Amino acid sequence: MSVRTLKGKRRWLALGGCLLWLAFTLFPLYWVAITSFKTPLAVVGGPTYLPFVDFEPTLTAWNELVSGARGAFYNTFVASLIVSLSAAVLATGIGAMAAYALVRFTFRFRLLSALIFVVVAFGGFLLGQYALGFGQGISLIYSFIAALALAVISSRFRLPGPELGNNDIVFWFVSQRMFPPIVAAFALYLMYTEVGKLGFKLVDSYIGLTFAYIAFSLPIVVWLMRDFFEALPIEVEEAAMVDNVPSWRIFFGIVLPMSKPGLIATFMITLAFVWNEFLFALFLTSSKWQTLPILVAGQNSQRGDEWWSISAAALVAIIPMMIMAGILSRLMRSGLLLGAIK
Amino acid sequence: MTRNDPIKHFFIWPALIIVLLISIFPLVYSLTTSFMSMRLVPPMPARFVGFGNYADLLSNPRFWHVAGTTTLIAIVSVGLQYVIGLSVALALNSRVPGEGIFRVGFLLPMLVAPVAVALVARQILNPTMGPLNEFMTLFGFPNLPFLTRTSWALGSIIVVEVWQWTPFVILMLLAGLQTLPDDVYEAAALENATPWQQFRDITFPMLLPISAAVVFIRLIESYKIMDTVFVMTGGGPGVSTETLTLFAYQEGFKKFNLGYTSALSFLFLIFITVIGLVYLAVLKPYLEKHK
Repeated sequence: MSVRTLKGKRRWLALGGCLLWLAFTLFPLYWVAITSFKTPLAVVGGPTYLPFVDFEPTLTAWNELVSGARGAFYNTFVASLIVSLSAAVLATGIGAMAAYALVRFTFRFRLLSALIFVVVAFGGFLLGQYALGFGQGISLIYSFIAALALAVISSRFRLPGPELGNNDIVFWFVSQRMFPPIVAAFALYLMYTEVGKLGFKLVDSYIGLTFAYIAFSLPIVVWLMRDFFEALPIEVEEAAMVDNVPSWRIFFGIVLPMSKPGLIATFMITLAFVWNEFLFALFLTSSKWQTLPILVAGQNSQRGDEWWSISAAALVAIIPMMIMAGILSRLMRSGLLLGAIK
Repeated sequence: MTRNDPIKHFFIWPALIIVLLISIFPLVYSLTTSFMSMRLVPPMPARFVGFGNYADLLSNPRFWHVAGTTTLIAIVSVGLQYVIGLSVALALNSRVPGEGIFRVGFLLPMLVAPVAVALVARQILNPTMGPLNEFMTLFGFPNLPFLTRTSWALGSIIVVEVWQWTPFVILMLLAGLQTLPDDVYEAAALENATPWQQFRDITFPMLLPISAAVVFIRLIESYKIMDTVFVMTGGGPGVSTETLTLFAYQEGFKKFNLGYTSALSFLFLIFITVIGLVYLAVLKPYLEKHK
């Protein structure tokens, strides 16, 4: 028994407070659950609380939802599932690799190379679009390739100016989250339409949406996974290096299995983020790859406030995340998320 | 200790390229358009206006109003989240009975889609069939205009934000509390320090770095609030609950006023950066004192 354990009256006071907070947390979820089983008449007639006691539960709202009377529910659910699962898997994988590289390898580059990248990307885009008369898509592709090539080549030379390292790259990754998503969503929509004119369909397509979600989950994956990797004992890796095991086998064969709990936690956080995402889905999808939050929000405006069907749709979006909460809390109990906050 | 191996490029480039592609374009594109006058509906050719959009915005009272509303929502809700989150985390850390159940319950709101949360909130706050108004009339209140009167609507949005994001604060602070060393508390217990003294002199100062980080993250995320307001009030009544992101959405997607929206986004970015820097500057002396 730890010294920090509460005793006597304080213990009961804390319990009371927690119960109060739990009631506040759970009541809205309970309310949405029971509303989805009410008839329209029972909803309009004023608040009722207990099924079979003060209202008769019915499955009407659920039948309507599943049968597709309120928008292509089944398709939306499957689209949501596919996009969020694949985006979360890919983001966790790619992000974990980057995070590992940032923890264990040395990166050095001059500030000047980074500036070259920004200036060339910027200038090339302006030049292509306004001076040479290319479309946005073409000028973007050219200027991006030119900028990347020049930046990489320039980093081979001993340029003057301050030197940047791993921490600066991490900071750059994480700072991507400061950017207001509305800007990115809108500009991305325009970029996708431009690329669409070149023949690659990205708006309302699987690749377009998944790609955007991967990019916007990466900062958080790099941030979380870096701490998990830093907490791993380095001795195992050093022993493997002495035996001349190549780095990629150290990573896939030793490091990844060791950080499985961290990977699972990161994967689930990313999944929740993508599953619930609203703004990008609103801009980047229209019908085929529409995701659940859009459908749920759409229930709102279609035919006035039909709370029973709104509740059923909202519940479908909530239930998978409830299951995840259970799994995550078990992971947490074993102290596995500790590394994430240092 | 880090090592050098050409394979490192293979590890980092996939992530780097994806983020560069998806983030550099919006940046380049919106910075260019922010200096132009550009409308899609009605279609107008792009025209260079320099800082015109910025000047327009800065002299627009609606912009300042929106920035004020967003700041109010962010500061009040993050403050409440921190106070409640810390209390709950302390209770959980000291093994309140039934701790296991609480943990699952506390985590839930964070994982629910904000859109769904806002829809549920609208049902509960509904003046005629919502349970909250029935509950309030029990105490003799009249029917309260939760979403149609400015002050109530702001309050409701803040409560929903607190509901949704306090779990994140609990999660982080709980993890932080578990890393605090036991021996300091044992020493304090030997000296007969009261629980309040222990909290004031040990727990709170030692938790300060994590607290600062959590509040920072929440503050930045709160400034981007959109889904909840969009569904709950749509910015109304009038424009009284409109937030920065919603304002940008209205200008960009309803009026297709691209230059204006881009300028707005950059002002927003500058705004957030300034707030972040001020926050860090204010906290720095405290953080260094307790290092």
